[in-house]
Amino acid sequence: VSQPLTQEVVINIDGMTCNSCVQSIEGVISKKPGVKSIRISLANGKGTVEYDPLLTSPETLKEAIEDLGFDASLSDTNE
Amino acid sequence: MPKHEFSVDMTCEGCSNAVTRVLSKLGGVQFDIDLPNKKVCIDSEHSVDTLLETLGKTGKAVSYLGPK
Repeated sequence: VSQPLTQEVVINIDGMTCNSCVQSIEGVISKKPGVKSIRISLANGKGTVEYDPLLTSPETLKEAIEDLGFDASLSDTNE
Repeated sequence: MPKHEFSVDMTCEGCSNAVTRVLSKLGGVQFDIDLPNKKVCIDSEHSVDTLLETLGKTGKAVSYLGPK
């Protein structure tokens, strides 16, 4: 039995101005394969995603957010 | 070019900016966004399905209102 893998990434998201933006992102990203949870802070313009590294990657998540029409960049803390 | 009118559930500038971006990415479109009325009017050779799919990428409720 393998241990469930979870990694966390913080993504800077620009262009969110209200709660409905946040909900759109959370709604779409949380349905992506490998995403376990997503928390978005509107005030900081950051999203914290818990994901399974076997199924997705920070790069993929960033692109998914860009597809939604927002500016996304990976914060370069850790790694 | 054919004109199509869509209803997109946008509530703020951020939402309409998101719509602007996905449409610009698709390319080959001219469009007007009417935020107060939650309408997007698109001038394009793309099919309605393609446009619906693109608008849907924003994660918002989208519906096709018809040609204009």
